[in-house]
Amino acid sequence: MAEEWIVETHDLVKKYGEHVALDSVNLNIKPGATGLLGPNGAGKSTLLKTILGLIALTSGGGKVLGHDIATEGAFIRQRIGYMPEYDCLIPEMEAIDQVRYSGELLGMNTNSAVQRAHEVLEYVGLRDQRYRAVSTFSTGMEQATKLACSLIHDPDLLICDEPTNGLDANARGFMLDTLFQVVKQGGRSIIMSSHLMDDVERICDRMLMIHKGQVIAQGRIEDLKAIDREIEISVWGGASKIEEKLKDMGQSVRRTGRVMRVTRIDDSTYGTIIKAAAETNVQIRKMEDYEPSLEDLFIVIMDRLGYSVKSSKDLLGGQTPTMDQAALQGRKVA
Amino acid sequence: MSEGEDFDLDDILQDSSTPLGEPAAPTTLPVPAAPAEAEFMGESAAVTGKARMEAAYGTGEGEGQGMAMVAQSVAPSAGTIFHQVYRPWRGNLNPRWVRNWSIFRHHVYGLFSKGHRPWPMTTKLLVVIVLFGSLIPILTMAMSVLTGLNGLMEFYGVSRANLWGHVLGVFHNTCCWPLLTALVVGGLISEDRQHGTSAIYFSRPVNRTDYTLMKYLSAAVILSMIIVFSYCAYYAAAILFNNEGWAYLLDTLPYFLGGLVAAFMLVVTFTSIGLALSSVSSGRFFPAVAFLGIIFGSRILAFLIKLLFERDTLYLISPYDNLAHVGQWMMGINTTYAFPAAWSFVALLLMNGISLYILISRVNSLEVTRE
Repeated sequence: MAEEWIVETHDLVKKYGEHVALDSVNLNIKPGATGLLGPNGAGKSTLLKTILGLIALTSGGGKVLGHDIATEGAFIRQRIGYMPEYDCLIPEMEAIDQVRYSGELLGMNTNSAVQRAHEVLEYVGLRDQRYRAVSTFSTGMEQATKLACSLIHDPDLLICDEPTNGLDANARGFMLDTLFQVVKQGGRSIIMSSHLMDDVERICDRMLMIHKGQVIAQGRIEDLKAIDREIEISVWGGASKIEEKLKDMGQSVRRTGRVMRVTRIDDSTYGTIIKAAAETNVQIRKMEDYEPSLEDLFIVIMDRLGYSVKSSKDLLGGQTPTMDQAALQGRKVA
Repeated sequence: MSEGEDFDLDDILQDSSTPLGEPAAPTTLPVPAAPAEAEFMGESAAVTGKARMEAAYGTGEGEGQGMAMVAQSVAPSAGTIFHQVYRPWRGNLNPRWVRNWSIFRHHVYGLFSKGHRPWPMTTKLLVVIVLFGSLIPILTMAMSVLTGLNGLMEFYGVSRANLWGHVLGVFHNTCCWPLLTALVVGGLISEDRQHGTSAIYFSRPVNRTDYTLMKYLSAAVILSMIIVFSYCAYYAAAILFNNEGWAYLLDTLPYFLGGLVAAFMLVVTFTSIGLALSSVSSGRFFPAVAFLGIIFGSRILAFLIKLLFERDTLYLISPYDNLAHVGQWMMGINTTYAFPAAWSFVALLLMNGISLYILISRVNSLEVTRE
């Protein structure tokens, strides 16, 4: 049902002259936490600006929180909290005034904005620093202030652009915990753009991957991980021999010392590995399904992508898909 | 190991007959004893005294002025006093004019109170100095009335030339208004570009028209508070001090209104040029210097051309001289320029038009994401 999506677009195209920033993008983002991934120049910023209703589209259309992207940008931005990646704070202002002002710019009256500014600054861990000028803040505190600015009106959708950029381990953990709570405790939705796969994996249950203006993958992370399902084995007594044998038997093998990962095509792969071990007289001391990280997934997708992806079918490389097709849904085939 | 087989460190280690030494017995870090006197709000759990912000952001010792001390119990079941709870907000968002008012208020109130736009101290000081300086004629008229020295009143009293001079006089337009404009308008947009503050505006339901209009209005109102206010105060004071009646008011009102229109034209023109310069740069310095360069440079250039070639048409490139010319025409004063006032008026329109075009196109280029 259409009401289920917080963001849905149809054949969205945005061109800057000859350059195609977004190419027939079809998005369906459900409520919850969604990670936005893609290399530099992939079109992430353009997509975020589109979702915010800030740019005129070349063709196509869509809705964000039920509002039309092309005509109801102001309504959309009233219901979205946007946390930019880069500096956006007035250095000489105190945090409390900064957050209050960002609330007033949304249309909150001053009293409400002040009260809410205190609440959100406490929520992001800046209760005792709220009367300090932003220029005296560390990077983590600046990020927290930006998050407070974006949360002041209790948005339905929070868009975070690299929220952990420049943070140390403690501050990063605190920021991610806070965002996680916004989703789980507050029941709000997040679209989080990040280069850090761990961050996305920790917060998000869904992801959206963009490359060259095209959506190359979207869906549940768990489903998408099925692209890169492997079996990890530890061998003894001739790792090279079994590696060669497996390759001769048509398996894809990656090896580091005695540990190697064999691409799992289907259940028969286990039998193939055992057969290869028996024929080469090599011991298999451990065999288990390898759980790929999001980073593994990203690398695999980008490896398969090359520079001429046309659709998600290209991404799959013609091999038997072991994942839910609905999870890997990109643009329509050109 | 046969030739060609890969080197495997684990295989070698396994084959080695050298027995490995027994691993050392594991040691555990001593747990610091909890201070018995450490309590928080009656709880008996020990307090480590670790600051929350220090833990979260690594602010370092002594940096925070008032760090929250968080009770962290050694016992894992005790918890802390910082409970991060997301509280929803049930209020309503107001319409467009409230958002625009907040932008206007942010800039104008910042001159007078804390919590709004942080104007530099030099700007605040100059505003006060220029305001008091422009009120000196009132003080002089008051002294004339108090001391009975009529000469002062004749010199400073209301006349066409004095009304014109209060707004468009050379002294005010050399030492006061250009400096004031340079400091007030210089950083209004350029600092948004410099600090990335434009993202705060445009990721909210503030469109670029509202943003530009409110910035323009804020700058114009601040300049008007000095230029127009002091002009009106001067005229009102002259009437009051001389105890003038309705006939005097009716006689002088047209000149006053002419001067008022000239004052608004000056405010609009200076704001347009200043904001256009502010929009093309990132920083406060360049727009301020460029504005002074345009105002004074064009005048000096036109003056030199007039001296050398006895032609004053080049005064058309000087914003001040165009304003002065149009002001002279509106107030019925003999003009000091050889060309028609209409030319100056057209030149003013062109200057404003070009400035607004630059301003609008540059504001359109302000980004929400990184530029």
